[in-house]
Amino acid sequence: MVMNVRFLAPLLLILIGCLPAATLERRDDDRMPYAAAGLTEREAAAHLLGRFTFGPRPGEVDRVVAMGPEAWFEAQLRADAPEDALEARLARLPALALSDSALLRLYPRPVAVRNRAIREGYLTRADLEALPRPALEDTLRAYMDAHGYRPFRELQGQLFAQKLLRARYAENQLVEVLTDFWFNHFNVAFQDGQARPHLLSYERSAIRPHALDRFRTLLGATARHPAMLLYLDNARSSAAEDAMTTLDVHMSRVEASGGPAVRRRIEAARRRAAARQTRTANAPERPAPRRGVNENYARELMELHTLGVDGGYTQADVEEVARAFTGWTVLPPPPEGDAVRARLERRRNAGFIIEGAFLFRPNFHDAGAKEILGEAFPEGGGLDEGERVLDLLAAHPSTARHLARKLAVRFVSDDPPEALVDDLAAVYLDTGGDLRAVVRAIAYSPYFWEPSALRAKVKSPLELSVSALRALDADLDDPRGMLNWLRKMGQPLYAYQAPTGYPDRAEAWINAGTLLNRMNFAMRLASGRIRGVTVDLPALNRRREPASVEAALTTYARLLLPERDVTATVAQLLPPAADPGFARRLDASARRAAPPPEDGAEAPAEAAPNPATLARVVGVILGSPDFQRR
Amino acid sequence: MWTRRAFLKSSGLAVFAAGLGGCPTFLNRAALAARAPGPFGRRKVLVTIFQRGAMDGLMAVTPFRDPHLAALRPRLALPAAGEGALLDLDGAFAFHPAFAPLLPHYREGRLAVVHGVGSPNPTRSHFDAQDYMETGMPGVKSASSGWLNRAVGLMGHDATPFRAVALTPSLPRALSGDAPALAVANLRDFALNVPGPERLRAAAGQSLESLYAQTTGDLLGATGREGFEAAHMLESIRTSDYRPARGAAYPASPLGNALRQIAQLIKADVGLEVAFAESSGWDTHVAQGTANGAFARRAEDLAAALAAFWTDLEAYHDDVTVMTMTEFGRTVRENGSGGTDHGRASCLFVLGNAVEGGRIHGVVPELDPDALEDRRDLPVTTDFRAVFAEVAGKHLGLTDDEALFPGWRGARLPLFRS
Repeated sequence: MVMNVRFLAPLLLILIGCLPAATLERRDDDRMPYAAAGLTEREAAAHLLGRFTFGPRPGEVDRVVAMGPEAWFEAQLRADAPEDALEARLARLPALALSDSALLRLYPRPVAVRNRAIREGYLTRADLEALPRPALEDTLRAYMDAHGYRPFRELQGQLFAQKLLRARYAENQLVEVLTDFWFNHFNVAFQDGQARPHLLSYERSAIRPHALDRFRTLLGATARHPAMLLYLDNARSSAAEDAMTTLDVHMSRVEASGGPAVRRRIEAARRRAAARQTRTANAPERPAPRRGVNENYARELMELHTLGVDGGYTQADVEEVARAFTGWTVLPPPPEGDAVRARLERRRNAGFIIEGAFLFRPNFHDAGAKEILGEAFPEGGGLDEGERVLDLLAAHPSTARHLARKLAVRFVSDDPPEALVDDLAAVYLDTGGDLRAVVRAIAYSPYFWEPSALRAKVKSPLELSVSALRALDADLDDPRGMLNWLRKMGQPLYAYQAPTGYPDRAEAWINAGTLLNRMNFAMRLASGRIRGVTVDLPALNRRREPASVEAALTTYARLLLPERDVTATVAQLLPPAADPGFARRLDASARRAAPPPEDGAEAPAEAAPNPATLARVVGVILGSPDFQRR
Repeated sequence: MWTRRAFLKSSGLAVFAAGLGGCPTFLNRAALAARAPGPFGRRKVLVTIFQRGAMDGLMAVTPFRDPHLAALRPRLALPAAGEGALLDLDGAFAFHPAFAPLLPHYREGRLAVVHGVGSPNPTRSHFDAQDYMETGMPGVKSASSGWLNRAVGLMGHDATPFRAVALTPSLPRALSGDAPALAVANLRDFALNVPGPERLRAAAGQSLESLYAQTTGDLLGATGREGFEAAHMLESIRTSDYRPARGAAYPASPLGNALRQIAQLIKADVGLEVAFAESSGWDTHVAQGTANGAFARRAEDLAAALAAFWTDLEAYHDDVTVMTMTEFGRTVRENGSGGTDHGRASCLFVLGNAVEGGRIHGVVPELDPDALEDRRDLPVTTDFRAVFAEVAGKHLGLTDDEALFPGWRGARLPLFRS
């Protein structure tokens, strides 16, 4: 026994030295360094809630303190809290329960409906011209009813609704915050008519499940998703006319190994393909489908998704990466796509690969040799080349820094300290790109708790509006009113047109117009005048009445801005104590506010509160500069 | 329990902010601003109109002597004479009849047409083509700013919140970027709109205004003060029943409303320098029509709105230039549904006193299929940036075309009288 210990001890030391990742595991007694920054546990809880959720609900600071900030955060990282309240609300959105292909079947794009109606004889092309619009719409509606199709805008409404409901009601808030972050990082714009039908699927299958996963997995899921393939045009990227394709390689192998019968069949297939090409070329009214490489995805993949604009790649890399992704495309939507799917399923042994709506076309893939970021890709490759590119990019130190900086900007400040970026990038590289480890490292970094980082972020319109709903414990029943306000405040959902996503800086959100609309939103919300939202302000204070103006302001400011120093805000709204005119104006104002009680009788103690006045107090707090910060 | 007493008292909030005295200066400045010449001086104003959906440039301004036209457009080509005839401009090109309100401007030499204009990027996707035209960076999907935003940034002088305004529900790509720009669908929305009785509204406004006035040293405070100032400016000009000058009659359409409000901002002298408006519905795949129909209705609206705008702005003609743009043109050959599909080049209009008007600028080749792009589309003979750089450059006094259109090394297309 003694001997064993003597041999084992050095061995253990060696093992620990070989496993730096092991030191990154949090032990139960690890504490977030907020005390060193001079914060109380309550202040720490409020800061965590401001950054890693869509804002604290009433009493939530108490709950975080009761659990302990570290335990609360670990629970958010595990993201395994039951979601009964949320699920009950999402259950009213039937589209969410449908599979991707069922969604595409049930909600065809309007242009597809029209074309199908014509093909099936419900309409003629001439009708489109001749029929008055209402008659045309009736016909199309009848066609849709007959086929059980639902209007596309219904899907669209449910996509928007689920986003707001999750932000408002999810217990696993961190996953929702990160889903928003990573969607924006891998942005696909709703304005893109082709990508649009795939957005619900994109968020729920490519983004949310991987928000705390390895980055490589998230990256791979976006790369193969139809939304991304269509939005950044990779779906129509194919090997140049004169390039050797993966299918060519396959055919020549078959040809070399097969007998005369095989060769005859291959020869016939080639003749048919050539004839098809001639037919297309001779029909000038239809543009020939352009064969050729499209670089959009390759460029944004490196510039935005991974390395960053100064990440050390060249235009030659963009071109080579684009070649590596040729043939990554999308099946046409059902039912038109069903035949294509069936046909290509039969050709799996020729290298066609189908996964959901993702399609790899070996006849579009450039099988020539490539060199990417200094690595050689030998000729004859296929789908594996794109995957290898993603491996290279995900493991690249530039990617680590690019993502570290973006996360630091989202969770710490608009201009995060370089040392924080270095630390997070190191965690990323040490853990093989484990996003859970990187996010955890943010909350355990002293930079997260520095006084200069507190309240340093200006909320996005989504964060502002949802944090207000949560602070008021408001009921969100119909999201349409909220969507309209989000647009007015400068963040129409899913609608940032460029692949960069919304910039995550105060300057991008705050201008004279959007700031006024933030205040207008606050006033309307507090007055219960946002469609689909119900507020109950007295309930927030358990229907206890504040004794004075100052008490009302202070009470609600504390409720809505937990653990903030609200004395400045309250003082600014209250008169200078020494102002001799104050009492007089206050009385005059009070007389104007309501008719005097009849016959001089005292108002009964249970008289209804003055909701307009309380709404104004709360509206001003929600519209204040302080509430715009997190 | 709430008692009435506490809430009667709490409405005393109304007077607190007024007691701090933050408000009157805004109002004074707004009153000043309403008088011309205002504190911001008379600045040049560039008004841009994006025709979304891709206007058929060949129907708008038709090369009507072209020998191929009748065969390519058996149903869509308009007659040169008779009922619903084209409006001959120079013996080679003619306006669609719905552009009649623009004819005097052309004849009097202040309206120019640039034909064969488009993007070097051949995309026929509305989405991509609009994106590229608005960023001014064809082919660069991740361009971080719009060209009008860069133009604003390059002007390099102090500005009011109203320097760059889009009369649209959200900020268009063209105006997105680092320079401040506003989107406001309706000027009425640019105010603190507190629901409830007027008294509470004023009180809440003063409370918020006071909070932002006392938030110093950061973006929120500065922008908040700017927002209130801007809202007060507008309040002073809004006097809800705006009467256009000289009986100008704007069409009751989104474009008409947008241009009417742009005229209001110009006259109020609140510092407007770049304005953006939209006209939609130009995607005429089906039943495009001829003298009447879908295209004619859009053209009528555009022409009436532009003509009313110019009439209304009589006193400001030397300060204002208007430019239209559209993401691409449409197929030369009509399709099977009496419409046209996505093509390449289209045309655009530039209106202003300094514009070399009364001319068709640019190059339109004969519509022989061999001369067409991909044997089907009007070829792009003028890069849209050559026009935008000229208009923004000459009218707004910008000199750095490379900064305005990164990556572009072309030459401006001369369109202004020197």
